[in-house]
Amino acid sequence: MRRARTAASAWAAVHCGWMRLRAMLRRRRLEEQLDQELRFHLEMATEQNLERGMGPEQARRAALRSFGGVAKIKEECRDSWGVQHADALRQDLRQGARGLLRNPGFTAVIGLTLALGIGANTAIFSLIHGVLLRSLPYGGGDRLVRLYQSSTQFEQFGFSVQEVQDYRELNRTLDELVEYHTMWFVLLGGEEPRRVQTGVVSANFFAVLGVRPLLGRTFLPHDEAPQAEAVLVLSHGFWVSGLGADPEVVGRRFEMNDRPHRVIGVLPPLPQYPDPNDVYMPTSACPFRSAPGLVANRAARLMSVFGRLKTHATVEQARTDLQQVSRQLQQAHAGFYPAGSGYTSTLEPLRDELVQGARPTFFMLLAAVGLVLLIACANVANLTLARLIRREHELALRSALGATRSRLVRQLLTESTLLALLGGVAGLLFAYIGLDLLVAFAARFTPRAAEIAIDGWVLLFSLVLSIGSGLAFGLAPALSARPDLRAALQESGGPALSGAGRLRLRRLLVVTQVTVAFVLLVAAGLLMRSLLELQQVDPGFQVERILTMRVDLNFTRYRGSALSREFHRHLLQQLESLPDALAVGAAGTFPLNEVTPGRGTYEVEGDPLGADAARPVADFQSVSPDYFRAIGVPIRRGRFFTDRDRPDAPAVAIVSSSLARRHWGDKDPIGRRIALDGGGAWVMVVGVVGDVRQYGLDQQAADGIYLPIFQAPLLATTYLVRSRVEPARLIAQIKEAVYQLDPTQPVDHFRTLEQVRHNALAPPRLTTLLLGLFAAVALALTAAGIAGVIAFSVSQRTREIGIRMALGATQGQVVTQELRRSMAPVLLGLGLGSAGAIAVSRLLAGLLYGIPPTDPTTYLLVALLIAAVATGAGLIPAYRLTAIDPLNALRRN
Amino acid sequence: MGESKSDLLQGTLDMLILRTLQTGPMHGWGISQRIQQVSGDVLQVNQGSLYPSLHRLEQQGWIAAQWGVSDNNRRAKYYRLTKAGRRQLVEQIANWDRLSAAVARILQTA
Repeated sequence: MRRARTAASAWAAVHCGWMRLRAMLRRRRLEEQLDQELRFHLEMATEQNLERGMGPEQARRAALRSFGGVAKIKEECRDSWGVQHADALRQDLRQGARGLLRNPGFTAVIGLTLALGIGANTAIFSLIHGVLLRSLPYGGGDRLVRLYQSSTQFEQFGFSVQEVQDYRELNRTLDELVEYHTMWFVLLGGEEPRRVQTGVVSANFFAVLGVRPLLGRTFLPHDEAPQAEAVLVLSHGFWVSGLGADPEVVGRRFEMNDRPHRVIGVLPPLPQYPDPNDVYMPTSACPFRSAPGLVANRAARLMSVFGRLKTHATVEQARTDLQQVSRQLQQAHAGFYPAGSGYTSTLEPLRDELVQGARPTFFMLLAAVGLVLLIACANVANLTLARLIRREHELALRSALGATRSRLVRQLLTESTLLALLGGVAGLLFAYIGLDLLVAFAARFTPRAAEIAIDGWVLLFSLVLSIGSGLAFGLAPALSARPDLRAALQESGGPALSGAGRLRLRRLLVVTQVTVAFVLLVAAGLLMRSLLELQQVDPGFQVERILTMRVDLNFTRYRGSALSREFHRHLLQQLESLPDALAVGAAGTFPLNEVTPGRGTYEVEGDPLGADAARPVADFQSVSPDYFRAIGVPIRRGRFFTDRDRPDAPAVAIVSSSLARRHWGDKDPIGRRIALDGGGAWVMVVGVVGDVRQYGLDQQAADGIYLPIFQAPLLATTYLVRSRVEPARLIAQIKEAVYQLDPTQPVDHFRTLEQVRHNALAPPRLTTLLLGLFAAVALALTAAGIAGVIAFSVSQRTREIGIRMALGATQGQVVTQELRRSMAPVLLGLGLGSAGAIAVSRLLAGLLYGIPPTDPTTYLLVALLIAAVATGAGLIPAYRLTAIDPLNALRRN
Repeated sequence: MGESKSDLLQGTLDMLILRTLQTGPMHGWGISQRIQQVSGDVLQVNQGSLYPSLHRLEQQGWIAAQWGVSDNNRRAKYYRLTKAGRRQLVEQIANWDRLSAAVARILQTA
């Protein structure tokens, strides 16, 4: 029995499917046949009536009357064909488009609201897709890793040449190891001497990264042989901007480091990692890297190392493998890896490495735009509801003509989806316009910024988002569309639906909007206050009218400390003699610069710190005598360096206040001695200077040790000139002074310290700006939502209010009551919002400086702001109440 | 429009249609006339439900349609009972008998 039924229902299903298919294919014929069938019936009925003695016209009418609604019958018959959907969709689309065109104002407002929401989401998604989701643009990019060594003192450090060789031979999980470091060299043979950032790489660098040249070739193993001809691969950027994209550049020779270098290739336009190099050379061509002393020195850990995971190796396996190798090294060279130093090595996927800085900010922004879209959708749902009320008559009519309820819902959904798509297109336009700004923004966080583009995935995203939000905001109003036929048709135009349910829905929307807007505004407010805090930070130095520049001495020409010392001494003298220069300093780098000072361990005389592992760590800097005066770092004790701190004088150092406090407390540090890396050579402390925030305004000052430039000579140097006038006016004179000393010596990268500080604040400033913008949009949309609800409630209750006014309520009482009533959802939203904000803002903690994520002032201010805006938004429609004429209101119904 | 009520009516109408077609192929008009006639004018078939019912039954495969020529020489759509329809009718009649017997018993005893 059961089996028979199963078989029967299976057969029925197959049959149904077949009928459906047939119906779909023979749509038009079916329609004609249906027409014919019904007409036949009518004719037969008419004939019967005629036979009963009615007149021809009367007979026809009677037949029609007994037949009922032809359209409705047809509709129900079609329903049974099961092809309704495709056909109805076409009809819905047509009707939807017509409806939208009929209400251009409504269409424009909703389109714009959605465009804001969808545009913001599309833009941020393109950011996240380009930077975080897409695979690296290098061949096999997702298997690339970066290797690190680490110890308890130093979180991450590089590799010496010896170590690179050891890891290359001993590891079992990596296909190949690549060695890399970057230097600035002078390139001659172009129009003027040019300082070029040079990636010094092992020959397999481009092969492992999977980069193919645009022109010529990249490096081959023989290019790295000790006596090989020096060759260069140019970056795309340098080839275009420095050499005018010369198509004949391969084979051309330039002079670098006093020897000719032949160009063998040009790279395609790829994001360059780890540094934006101008040119690349093999390790054998670099005078620094190929010096036998450096090659032999296991402690000179200056190289970065990359690798590619073997096909079946996981990151975890490779990490274990590297730990194993580091233990082997520790056994073989105990002197270099002291026991207890916590020495080990590890690796990170290159992809994570590239975007580390961007991830938290980008995800925060994505969450923010998601919330903005939510608010936009709530608003649109609100507007749609309001419009629905005005369309009740139309809907009731369609329902009377045979449209089923599901059909009506479908039509409303089609309309809202159509609108959302419209908004999506406008949003795409917004996103496209904002793209350049976004790329500039993202470039502050990650080298992958250039990969951000509106591509197929982004288009798909905004399409899905548009349809999704169309359905989302269309659903609530559509489901509440339950027209009461009789009422709607009888009183043409009167409010046929009970408004109470709708009003509840709209209040719920307001609660949601206020909650979400509160969270967004709190986030923006916290970031803003954090930015203000950051701007108030005393970095420990001055920035006003200080010009910085790079003077990187030609590596081969100034080999030997005497030559570079002489150059610096002369240049300092020349610059000090400029009439507008107040003070001139030279140093390896300066605070907030991208170039960071060297970091190393030291020993303090008489301090029983003993073992290597426990040695303290500090930043090291060579500085000229006037450096501190030029940058405005105050001396706390002792003296600055002078010209007399020369190689033949006693070795001296100046330390930062924090370092002095750490070792000597309140006692006088002057005359104490410290030893730098390696020990043995003791240096006397002659001065203590103020602490500076070297690594960022939000980073605490690090301990610093300064050495006189004449005792610890420098090649890669920055100069700082404190100027009496607008600093940029000094540039020409400074260049002149440098060229006089050495016509082949470049001086460039002129920036004021003010600009440097400005740039350092750019990421938080831009993030705050973006989030603030989103929060402002959210607030505006919420205000519109509140105004809409009150307007709706007023229009629904004109009669009631009329009665109350007729019974003696004053206008003021009516307005106040109306406001109070509509503020209830706002207050509820504020309550929910603060709970939400407390939960959410913890995620912001990493982006905040100087204030806790639960900062009560911010919460209070945001609550007041929303309350004020809500009241303002509510006042306008509430005052329309005062225009109600009790008599008219009563008469109307 | 309450679902359960219309279901019951529809089910009954479906059964009447199937039973009427047992006597031979017939067009929509004929079916409505026949039901009215046989029921002694007690049952008026509402055309608003007749045609949707016919189309639904056709869809379910219990009846099949064919165009033919009517008594007065017009093209008309004739419906006939299929094998599955016959089985369905037997089942429905059995159901109906059970139901009406039960109702009758209640009416007599209660």
